[in-house]
Amino acid sequence: MTEDVRVIRAYIALSVGIFILIFLVALWMGRYPLEFGDVIDYFTGNLPKSSNEYKVIHELRIPRTIVAALVGIGLGLSGLLYQETFQNKLVSPDFLGVTSGACVGAALAILLGLSALMISLFAFVMGIITVVFTLSLAKVFQNRSPTILLLSGIIIGGLMSALLSMIKYFADPESTLASITFWLMGSCEHVTMKDVGLLLPLIAGCSVILLSIRWRINLVALGREEAQTKGLNYVLYRRLIIVMATLMTTSAVSIVGSVGWIGLVIPHMVRLLVGRNTANTIPLTILFGGVFMIIVDILSRSFTNSEVPLAAISGLFGTVIFIAIIYIRRRSILESD
Amino acid sequence: MKAIELEDVTFSYGKGKRKVLDGVGLSCEPGTVNALIGLNGCGKTTLIKVMAGLEKPLVGTVRYYGRDLSELTFRERASVLAYVRQNYGSLSDYSVKDYLLFGTANKLDLFDVPGKGEKEAVREIVMRFGITHLYDKKLGELSGGERQIVSICSAMVQDSKVVLLDEPCSALDIVNQNKVLTILNSIAKDSEKTILFSTHNPNHALYTEANVFLLGSGKIIDSGPAEEIITPDRLKPIYGEGICYSKDQPYNEISFARR
Repeated sequence: MTEDVRVIRAYIALSVGIFILIFLVALWMGRYPLEFGDVIDYFTGNLPKSSNEYKVIHELRIPRTIVAALVGIGLGLSGLLYQETFQNKLVSPDFLGVTSGACVGAALAILLGLSALMISLFAFVMGIITVVFTLSLAKVFQNRSPTILLLSGIIIGGLMSALLSMIKYFADPESTLASITFWLMGSCEHVTMKDVGLLLPLIAGCSVILLSIRWRINLVALGREEAQTKGLNYVLYRRLIIVMATLMTTSAVSIVGSVGWIGLVIPHMVRLLVGRNTANTIPLTILFGGVFMIIVDILSRSFTNSEVPLAAISGLFGTVIFIAIIYIRRRSILESD
Repeated sequence: MKAIELEDVTFSYGKGKRKVLDGVGLSCEPGTVNALIGLNGCGKTTLIKVMAGLEKPLVGTVRYYGRDLSELTFRERASVLAYVRQNYGSLSDYSVKDYLLFGTANKLDLFDVPGKGEKEAVREIVMRFGITHLYDKKLGELSGGERQIVSICSAMVQDSKVVLLDEPCSALDIVNQNKVLTILNSIAKDSEKTILFSTHNPNHALYTEANVFLLGSGKIIDSGPAEEIITPDRLKPIYGEGICYSKDQPYNEISFARR
């Protein structure tokens, strides 16, 4: 076994360990005080089902921690996929307008006074519709360049932001406007096992597919010309990647709201450690994305008596980490990057 | 059987636009070096892209060893032809080792990752080309000449019968130009691969003793062995009246007369 392989395996093993530890800490920490032993007892079946401790872990903390991890995985992977496919390290999961579209859907549902499930559904559907708009607009320009797609995403994203402003303008400042604003900032507070059921098949399914073709994603990153002449059906792979990244991002945003920075910071962090080979970056992005988002969720419910929005915490940490990454890499960032 | 055969290939970028290629026909024998020569903007890159299956011709056919390119799957294409492009784009943080292994993709199944066999094959080629010192470096750390040799190695890893190279010497100094051209010659001779490269420098065809295809305004104007084609008389239709032999050169190098 070469030294490279050993180092990567060590990183993966360490990350799995940290993931499990942070997951357990997330079940232990929170406003309702628990002993760490309660968490262990929960998994060994020694915690009485009628106890408050069991209910707190089982009904509140387990669903939100799983959802937080899935959101981190989904957004991290989507960011990595888009950055590699479009050969642009500055694109994030919402560059096709997914997030702004989902926000419009959710805001509209809140304005109409619909249930939590309908808010998620509206957000999901609008996220998908927005991506279809972006892809259709890019087609109108009759140019296959990734830059055209990027510009189309900016245009449609801008349009969706305008629509969101309109919805906010018509919302009641006393009730619905506050709900819309809070939803937009992201939260795991009202997450239930139902949400886990909605999110898990999509994110886990996409993750399994990506893990199985993790080496081949490298060829997509080479660009159309080189990928095709090396034997890859580039157009098919690019479509598959856009579909998976859209599904993961939209489903994540539709459950917890808009959470920024993860899709940008996590892939950069992983590349800094193990280089660009997607056979290594995909599994590590899954682990790092999950850990990052669980930590964000722990902090969001541990600072004050009420919940701090996820976007505020992820933005705070995201910017600091991103500055650190750019500082470390400042000498190796080239114009062609 | 011809290694490469083009018949009446016509191409334009969009309906109603100027024909970049206009009824191009050419053929190459297996195991030969072939040079596509012409001025900047005459359609060399477009022709190579059409030959690599990256652009679809409006009319005409491209055949490799008798098989129509449009009927081959991407995987079959990769086993027939490798393409070395002019620049790398934004791949600077891939290591040479990782990049070369991508050349093995057409031999692997969908869920496979390169194993011991593929890694050994890459190592062998790296040793053959004398670039073991570059193996663990990143592409972004290489010089222009080293990058070009690495991309030719990548085509060798792919192990296709034909290698198409778009201006392999365009960004290189004369030492590296010589190195790359020598490598192309040795590939054709030792590995019996068919090489076709484009260049705007007619002397490159002389160095490689290539079969020349002279491209002008999207048409093949002249073709034949380098020593016959690379003469002032035969090149005048493309390069103009000023073209002449350089003095005191080991080859009949072509240059422009001093005014």
